[in-house]
Amino acid sequence: MLEPMAREYKPQGFEFLFVYTREAHPGERYGSHRSMEQKLAHAQAFKKRGQVERPILVDDLLGTGHKMYGTLPNMTYIIGRSGRVLFRSDWTDPSTIELVLNYLLNVRARRRAGERLAGFYAEFMGYRNVDPVKFQQGLEVAGPQAVEDFARTMQRWTSQGKPPSRLEG
Amino acid sequence: MIEQQEIEEYNYSVFEGKEDFTGFRTLLQVGSPAPDFPATLLETGETVKLSDYWHKQDVVIEFGSHT
Repeated sequence: MLEPMAREYKPQGFEFLFVYTREAHPGERYGSHRSMEQKLAHAQAFKKRGQVERPILVDDLLGTGHKMYGTLPNMTYIIGRSGRVLFRSDWTDPSTIELVLNYLLNVRARRRAGERLAGFYAEFMGYRNVDPVKFQQGLEVAGPQAVEDFARTMQRWTSQGKPPSRLEG
Repeated sequence: MIEQQEIEEYNYSVFEGKEDFTGFRTLLQVGSPAPDFPATLLETGETVKLSDYWHKQDVVIEFGSHT
């Protein structure tokens, strides 16, 4: 959740958005979307519960936007003014975004100082905090079915010898 | 009919952890043009485009859902 990050970095010249996708862990209280009305209602509940002030863009029912960007449950992208992808991650981590935004602020300063810069490609391994208790609480918000479905998937992964890094939290 | 099936397939009712994390890595690289798409702005109900936002400032986009 990048709400605190948005509060801090919006004044420094960054726009922050939230794109609302399909329910990652549908349950009795928040089931999988079957209408836009339902999806908008879920997005509204999300806004309220998380006190989200960032604009929320609700993707269509087919997940058109979500699929263009990778269809993962909690990605972060940073897009530059040129319309180019500057950063992408397969999970969202505030301290990682903070690092990247400071990097971009530094790039802006160097350009202003007259330095000539060229873009290049880099990758790095990110590390995000995992909080199983908080994650379980999140599943409970969706409903008992969401809790069951995740437990079943965890069992399957464990029996398949899936590495711990894949475990959500 | 077909669209309804697509909707139900995308909006799965049972989580199975079948997201493609490996495919993500090569789907859309940094440096590439960001794809544009229309969406409903929750606050007003109007249709906006993602590109409306990146024209003015660098944009940080988080994808997610209530669950």
